[in-house]
Amino acid sequence: MSLQKCLEEWEEIDREFQQLQEAHKVYRQKLGQLSSLQSACSTSIRRQKRSLSELRSSLHRCAKSSSPKEREEIREIQAQIRDRQNVFFDMEAYLPKKNGLYLNLVLGNVNVTLLSNQAKFAYKDEYEKFKLYLTIILMLGAITCRFIVIYRVTDEIFNFLLVWYYCTLTIRESILISNGSRIKGWRVSHHYVSTFLSGVMLTWPDGMMYQMFRNQFLGFSIYQSFVQFLQYYYQRGCLYRLRTLGERDQLDLTVEGFQSWMWGGLTFLLPFLFFCHFWQLYNAVTLFGSSRHEDCREWQVVTLALTFLVLFLGNFLTTLKVVHQKFQKSTEKIQKKES
Amino acid sequence: MLYSPTTIKECLQEWEALEKDYQQVQETHRLYRQKLEEVSKLQDSCSAYITRQKKKLKDLSASLEQCRETLSPEEVSAIEEIQDHIRERPNVFFEMESFLPKKNGLYLSLVLGNVNITLLNKQAKFAYKDEYEKFKLCLTVLLLLFSFTCRFVVTYRVVDALFNFLLVWYYCTLTIRESILISNGSRIKGWWVFHHYVSTFLSGVMLTWPDGRLYQMFRNQFLTYSLYQSFVQFLQYYYQSGCLYRLRALGERHNMDLTVEGFQSWMWRGLTFLLPFLFFGHFWQLYNGLTLFRMAQLPECKEWQVAMCGASYLVLFMGNFFTTLGVVYHKYKHNRSKAKGL
Repeated sequence: MSLQKCLEEWEEIDREFQQLQEAHKVYRQKLGQLSSLQSACSTSIRRQKRSLSELRSSLHRCAKSSSPKEREEIREIQAQIRDRQNVFFDMEAYLPKKNGLYLNLVLGNVNVTLLSNQAKFAYKDEYEKFKLYLTIILMLGAITCRFIVIYRVTDEIFNFLLVWYYCTLTIRESILISNGSRIKGWRVSHHYVSTFLSGVMLTWPDGMMYQMFRNQFLGFSIYQSFVQFLQYYYQRGCLYRLRTLGERDQLDLTVEGFQSWMWGGLTFLLPFLFFCHFWQLYNAVTLFGSSRHEDCREWQVVTLALTFLVLFLGNFLTTLKVVHQKFQKSTEKIQKKES
Repeated sequence: MLYSPTTIKECLQEWEALEKDYQQVQETHRLYRQKLEEVSKLQDSCSAYITRQKKKLKDLSASLEQCRETLSPEEVSAIEEIQDHIRERPNVFFEMESFLPKKNGLYLSLVLGNVNITLLNKQAKFAYKDEYEKFKLCLTVLLLLFSFTCRFVVTYRVVDALFNFLLVWYYCTLTIRESILISNGSRIKGWWVFHHYVSTFLSGVMLTWPDGRLYQMFRNQFLTYSLYQSFVQFLQYYYQSGCLYRLRALGERHNMDLTVEGFQSWMWRGLTFLLPFLFFGHFWQLYNGLTLFRMAQLPECKEWQVAMCGASYLVLFMGNFFTTLGVVYHKYKHNRSKAKGL
């Protein structure tokens, strides 16, 4: 390129640069305005929520000394208040907010709210892909440790991967909850329990007790990864279908368990799941048995036994509840048909 | 609510008032979502502008280099002026980009996914940096107390394991927070970031080291070293915060400069007393490395952890020592050229 052309090019680049600076200035200004709107929205929503909860308790008090007609009115208003709370939950999913304790400890007070529907959906989609890929990697890792390479070092690496995987899941799920996802309860806490379990496995020194349990543990890990893979794979398709039918929320996630919406086509997963839960119980029982062995000096054995027991109880009872609810619903439907 | 309604009628009135307020809230929220759209579009266009500018500048730079060979002296000086401008532009872009959302690097992508962690105004960035430094200070004190407890009060492998878990968690969290800070315009780099990854690895390996004769041989040395290291880190963060505050007020340092576990050029003003403490810490790391290598050669040593920890301590020593030495050498050269100038 000749010097003249270079100079012309430079002129044009400089002109564009001025435009960029101008656009960036406008952008910073609008950001400031946006930020004030955000605080205004957040404050007014907070105020409404507080007033609504006070009103609800006042209504509750009034209801005791009122006529049936008034009681009907009160019930109606209370239902509307409940709906209002849901609307606010959805609104707040688009507003920046303080992080909960866990995210605050790990990330600090950086805002993790994704501010558009596409961004939220893309994030959820990415979370599910992450789970799928890591599940495959964990399955291959467990197979390698069980059948190919038999060193405590590779076991350690596998356990570190497990700890890292579950920690990362807890972080990503906290972010999803902050963005309006409704996962809660056992589905979230069992990842913390699994992190703890893998951490304790990590510190278990090599020895007779460890070698006795190792193969059972790796066999269980292979099976668990396989079942998780099945779940994520089939749940994704099912959720996609239900979302287009408008029957499920955009941010519903694939989970390691059975949920009410899965009766439509995923019932075949249930036996696999129950077998997995009972394998956890078997692990706990085996470990309790090992802990009574005269050579057992490691604290890890009893701790792991208890943890597997907690996992079994949480998983089994949660799944049982879903089955029980379905059974109740079917019975009600039959009764209605008969009457 | 200005009062507590006691009758149904008052409740109904309160409900009416809240309904009216709710319409306002909905309206504000709608405006907010609109403005969010506008801002989002501006973000995209700014980012696109910057990407285009960067590419054009790169092409122009290459063309100018090509032209340079066949020109007269005045023309060459004109080109050099343009090239100077081109060299400054990346700094401007770095500043601009620290206010625009961007894709996360590999590490943050793996851990967090593609949630945007750009803090969009200066106060937020500064508050985040401030919080990061408080976090380091608090955790350092906690680690100090913990290592003291493990060394002198309680002697169980379980408690040691807890201490090591805390170390792993602490260093992992530091790496995450530092990645976020870098994304927000902070200029920490090189060894100061990498050595946290090495420390995470080291603590992880210590975690898996089973109890035994060799572990007991090294344990006290390791805990005393941790005690000393936490103490020195505490000194550093405490004094560096004050020094940075002063320098920032004088406009001599960037807002997003952080306290680090080492010596940097700006510390010659008043923090030189930290240097001997630092060098002692580095040589203790070397001593740890040598002790472990000697232990690895014992006939009863069967654990791979010994050699691995030894190698890690060596890496830490070399990185820390040579980085600090670099700063000292740089200062020495600077003083000499000043003396020559005088």
